[in-house]
Amino acid sequence: MSQDWIDHNIAHKQAGDELLSLTATRDGQVRATWMNPGDGRQTSYATSVIDNHFPSLTRALPEVAWDEREIHDLFGFVPQGHPDLRPLVRTPRWPSEFFPLGAKPIRCPAWLDVEPDNPARTVQGDGITIMKVGPTHAGIIESGHFVFSLMGENILHLDIHLFQNHRGVEAILEDQPIANAVPIVSRVCAGDTVSHQTNWAMAVENLAQFVPDPLLSLRRVILLESERVLSHLNDLAQIPAGVGFQRAHQQALAIKECWQQGLKQLFGHRLLFDTVKPGWAAGADPDALLMLIRRLRQQWTPWRTLVEGHHGFHDRMTGVGVVKPHDAERFGAHGVVARAAGQARDVRSVHALYADMRPACILGQGGDVKARFDVRLGELEESLRLLEASAMRLRNENESPLRRWTVPDTLSGRAVVFTESPHGLNVHDITLDCGRIARYHIRAGTYRHWPLLAQAMPGNTVADFPLINKSFELCYSCTDR
Amino acid sequence: MPHRKHGRRVLQIRHVDAGSCNGCEQELTACTGPAYDWQHLGLDLVASPRHADALLVTGPMSDTMARPLNHVYSAIPQPKIVIAFGDCAAGCGVFQHAYGVRGGLDTADLTIPGCPPEPVQAIKALRTWMTTLTDPETEPKDSGRR
Repeated sequence: MSQDWIDHNIAHKQAGDELLSLTATRDGQVRATWMNPGDGRQTSYATSVIDNHFPSLTRALPEVAWDEREIHDLFGFVPQGHPDLRPLVRTPRWPSEFFPLGAKPIRCPAWLDVEPDNPARTVQGDGITIMKVGPTHAGIIESGHFVFSLMGENILHLDIHLFQNHRGVEAILEDQPIANAVPIVSRVCAGDTVSHQTNWAMAVENLAQFVPDPLLSLRRVILLESERVLSHLNDLAQIPAGVGFQRAHQQALAIKECWQQGLKQLFGHRLLFDTVKPGWAAGADPDALLMLIRRLRQQWTPWRTLVEGHHGFHDRMTGVGVVKPHDAERFGAHGVVARAAGQARDVRSVHALYADMRPACILGQGGDVKARFDVRLGELEESLRLLEASAMRLRNENESPLRRWTVPDTLSGRAVVFTESPHGLNVHDITLDCGRIARYHIRAGTYRHWPLLAQAMPGNTVADFPLINKSFELCYSCTDR
Repeated sequence: MPHRKHGRRVLQIRHVDAGSCNGCEQELTACTGPAYDWQHLGLDLVASPRHADALLVTGPMSDTMARPLNHVYSAIPQPKIVIAFGDCAAGCGVFQHAYGVRGGLDTADLTIPGCPPEPVQAIKALRTWMTTLTDPETEPKDSGRR
């Protein structure tokens, strides 16, 4: 049985399929779900946890190293044969019997009175300096702890300790009735909130066999693409800050603010919280949206000319923080990180919401900071094009109101749903039982990119780290949960 | 701003994220950006707690961040002020009862509600509150409590 589990999963990877989720359940099942990127078809496999152990896939599929460490920390199930079972989410403060998603849940653990730091993995030797950064930072940055092994200015190794912001989101969603989930799911991460909300709404609708009408789908596309514009503007503003290009940084922040004020006017929230629910999505006046895009373009076009014409800026980004296509493939990269390494991975191509939209897949070359910057430039304009097309279609649609739909209160079943968030493939693996959430697993777009970031660091200098980090622009909140 | 005999004219703030969804961080960044430019209103975020008058906390206070947060608090010179920024830090956010969090700050000198607080409201709350503070140069005040 255990060999089957390993063989099936390897076969999917070799066929070029996308791993949607790998997680466990309290009753001792470990489940993997794969998706064929050609037609969107999903296949799930499960293996049973026997004597608290299950066969590890990490040696064959390094991209699941963190998923399995997380299962080890939260469920207490041991992935047998895993090469690195250091704690990922747990800290020394967690009581040894405390497994928040294990068979016997403890709601309020008695934290041990010790420091929360896990031991770091560092390089030993003459002349090596260890530099620790975080978890609190000298700016407006989410909390993460980074341990660098340096030789002079050069980075030999980076050990990343995340989960400083671990709240227990998956556990708090358990047992909630369907109606209570939206405000929580909405706040898993402010950067990908629409993507998270849309996943939840689609899961409920799939299980209820509710087919969204074209107007609802169109509204969701508008919200998802508006979020991509917001997030890319943020990232495009931060990358120049990483090299001290203040003019480009400040101007991009001003453009982002223009977009946020527009979102507030159109949808009622500057970050689009609580805009998608099962059977519903916030609508906007198409003419106002078109006007907002026109206003944005007036600032965006000269800004793009500015950054594209600055040779010093380009020199600084070129060849820095390289992700090789082979590593992107091996570590299961997606989103901007994969596309900047030349890999055409964008789940919008198989997504029902985008069935007749055909978003262009913008590819970069070189997998460096510059490629990630350039891909975002292209994608932002592509999102504006999709928004304009959607707004035009909305204007031409008959003024039929959104069909009213009440969620059946006894829904049961499992749905694995995904969207292309600004940070990549965002997957929710949801099980409902009689109208309540039995299990809610979130595999956000940035999760698999963190190990890849560490992989891209050696060979760069320590001053490159902020720049490389900003070019990945990884989210801590939806990774930590 | 005209000079005030009472009230603080400037506030140097150190920010710590204790489990935020990064919504509060995005709006704080907007406060420092060209549209709101809170520096010219006497507000600024500083890189070191040693330079700070105030500690601004976002998030519902994850257990893992509680100690680092206390280390930052201890490093800020007296008199010091604690600001709970956003509903999570204020103890009324959606993650209040998650196992990994303590549910916001026990006490704060100023609470700025909102999920997240919008820049205009945040700056207004800070400016209004600053007028009620005593200038530390004329009368040192020990508000070192949490």
